[in-house]
Amino acid sequence: MNITETSNGAIAIVAIEGRLDALSAPELRNNRSVIDPEKTVVLNLEKLDFMNSTGLGAIVGALNQKLQPDFGIVLSCMNDDVRSVFEITNVQKLFHIFDDTAAAVEFATTRQGAHT
Amino acid sequence: MSSIITLTLPGQIMFARLASQTASSLADLVIGENREESAKRKFCHAFELAVSEAVTNSVTHAEELDAPQMLTVTFEFEPRQLTVSVRDANPPFSIDKSAPDIESYPVHGFGLKIIREIMDQFTYRRDGDANIITMSKSL
Repeated sequence: MNITETSNGAIAIVAIEGRLDALSAPELRNNRSVIDPEKTVVLNLEKLDFMNSTGLGAIVGALNQKLQPDFGIVLSCMNDDVRSVFEITNVQKLFHIFDDTAAAVEFATTRQGAHT
Repeated sequence: MSSIITLTLPGQIMFARLASQTASSLADLVIGENREESAKRKFCHAFELAVSEAVTNSVTHAEELDAPQMLTVTFEFEPRQLTVSVRDANPPFSIDKSAPDIESYPVHGFGLKIIREIMDQFTYRRDGDANIITMSKSL
């Protein structure tokens, strides 16, 4: 798995590429933007090929780190396979999910602005 | 006639990925060329995900033991279904746990729910000192 990070204003955009499973989940759990309670993160999942429930748990765990559970982690661009894991487990209810990263960043920026 | 392939793996997390990627490759091999691409993709992903869940659970518990055990993953191809069994020497466990409450923002406990949802058959039994999970999906 590769993680690349960029920023758009106060929003960190963390792109995950490859497989998010028990082997790679610690890397996401230890990402500095993920563990920063005050940092709003857009997780770009466009190049995430595979995710199991351990990977899903790492994403929920990232949300648990945030002071603002409503928009601390925003998701974008997941493929059908990854989306199915969210849907089967009903975890999609915990997140705002967007089909493109620009919309996710715009949402996160707006929500963050409303809280500052 | 059926064909059987068996993997014997150390109970370490890195080998869970090997098992799931093998599952995906085997599913792709047996599902045939005549299927619609999206159906083919869905079948292979489901089989890979179920194996990933079962083997990850097995190796996670194996790593908790003083001396991690080997586990065996057996794939069986029949004309109309693909079956996988995961056998380990871990302590017994219950499959009757309900899925975690979403409102508590759970970070684990989804594996069995996923397996039940995406596979056509799922059984667990204790055989002496071994756990055996068996899962099937119709082709």
